[in-house]
Amino acid sequence: MRRVIAGILLTLSFFPAALPGQSLPDWTGVWRVPGTVPTGATIFDQATATRGGAGAPGVRQYPPYNAEWEALYKENIEKVKQNRFPDPFTNCGMPAGYPRIMNLPDVYEFVVRPEQVWIISENGPNIVRIYTDGRDHPAPEDRWPTFSGDSVGHWEGDTLVFTTLSVKGWDTDHDSILDRTGVVISSAMRSTTRMRKVDDNTIEAQITIEDPKALTKPWVVTRRYMRLPKGTRVYDYACAENNRNPVDESGRTLTLGPDGTPLDK
Amino acid sequence: MRSLTKVIFVAFIFMIAQAQAHHSSVMFDDSKTIELSGTVKEFQWKNPHIWIQVMVKGADGTTKEWSVEGNGPNSLSRNGWRPTTFKPGEALTFRVHPMRDGSAAGNFIGAKWSDGRTIGEWQ
Repeated sequence: MRRVIAGILLTLSFFPAALPGQSLPDWTGVWRVPGTVPTGATIFDQATATRGGAGAPGVRQYPPYNAEWEALYKENIEKVKQNRFPDPFTNCGMPAGYPRIMNLPDVYEFVVRPEQVWIISENGPNIVRIYTDGRDHPAPEDRWPTFSGDSVGHWEGDTLVFTTLSVKGWDTDHDSILDRTGVVISSAMRSTTRMRKVDDNTIEAQITIEDPKALTKPWVVTRRYMRLPKGTRVYDYACAENNRNPVDESGRTLTLGPDGTPLDK
Repeated sequence: MRSLTKVIFVAFIFMIAQAQAHHSSVMFDDSKTIELSGTVKEFQWKNPHIWIQVMVKGADGTTKEWSVEGNGPNSLSRNGWRPTTFKPGEALTFRVHPMRDGSAAGNFIGAKWSDGRTIGEWQ
C-alpha cells in the first residue's frame, strides 16, 4: 500500500499544474494599477523610468538593451516627441498583447480556474489565457507570433508561475509595443511571470523578460495591482464607439472635431 | 465683454490631469493651462473618451465651439461622473491643457459651475 501511495505522489510530482482538489488562491475582485497615466502608471518599467507619463516627450526607461535595440528605442523616443509614434491600439481593434496587458489603465479581473487563469483587462478589452492543466507550449512548427503569445503555467503554493513566448516583436512587425515611451521587444522574447496576492488588497506580478535579440541580460519588472471597493463593476470599453483620435498614415495621432474632421492644424 | 481664455502657466507641479487611456496625449501641452468659459452644447458620454462640446464667446464677440476631451466613461463613472454630469445649456468654466498647435480643443483638468460646484482638479 505504501508503494502505491508513494507511486501516486511521485506521479503527481510530475504534474505541477492545478489538480482536482488543489486549493487555489482567491483573486476575485476588480483591480487596477495605482496612479494615473500622466504620473507614469502605464510606463512598463516604472523603477527605471524618468519622471513623467508614457507619451510625454522625452520620458524613457532603461531596459538592458544591446546597442542595436537601444538605438531603435531612441528612434521611437524621437518619434514620440514629434507625435509620430503610432500606438497600435489607438485605431481600436488591436490587442494589447503580452506583456503590455499588465500595463493598462482602467481595471482588471484575474480569474483563477483549475485548468486556466484568465487575465482580463477592461481596457481593450483584452484577455490572456494561461493554461495550468499541465500542457506545454506548442512545438515551434505549431506556433506563430501573436499579440498575446502562448502562456502555460503552474502553481507553486499561492504563486502562479507562467512562461510566455511566441509574441509579435518589433523585429517582425510594428503592431505590438510595451508602452508609449516607445519600448519594444523582439519576437524572440520569452518571459517568466510570477504572480501572487501579497495581501488582501494587492496582487503583484514579477515579470522576467529574456530576449536574446534585444537584451543583454534578463529584464525584471515588478507590477502591482490594487483592489477596488467590493461591488465595483466592469463595463464595455467599445474603443471604436466614438474614437476621435485615430492615427493617420504618417503615424500622427489626430484630434477630430464633433463632425469627424481633424481639428489639427 | 467676457474674456474667454486666460493662459496660466502651470504652478501645480503635482496636479494630476485626467488620464489618456487609449492614445498618446502628446498633442496637448501639459505645461499650459487655459480657462474656457461658455455653455455646454453636447456631452458625449462614449468610449474610448468622453468629449464635452463647449460654446465659448470670444473677446471679439464671436462664439467658437471647443472640444474638451476627458478620460473614458468607465473610469470616470468610478469617480462619480455620470452621463448627466454636464447638461446642454449649462454655464461652466473649464480648465484644460490646450492643443500645442492652437486648435480649439483641450484635455480636461477640471470644471466649475456658475453656482460654485467643481469637478476634477480645481484649486
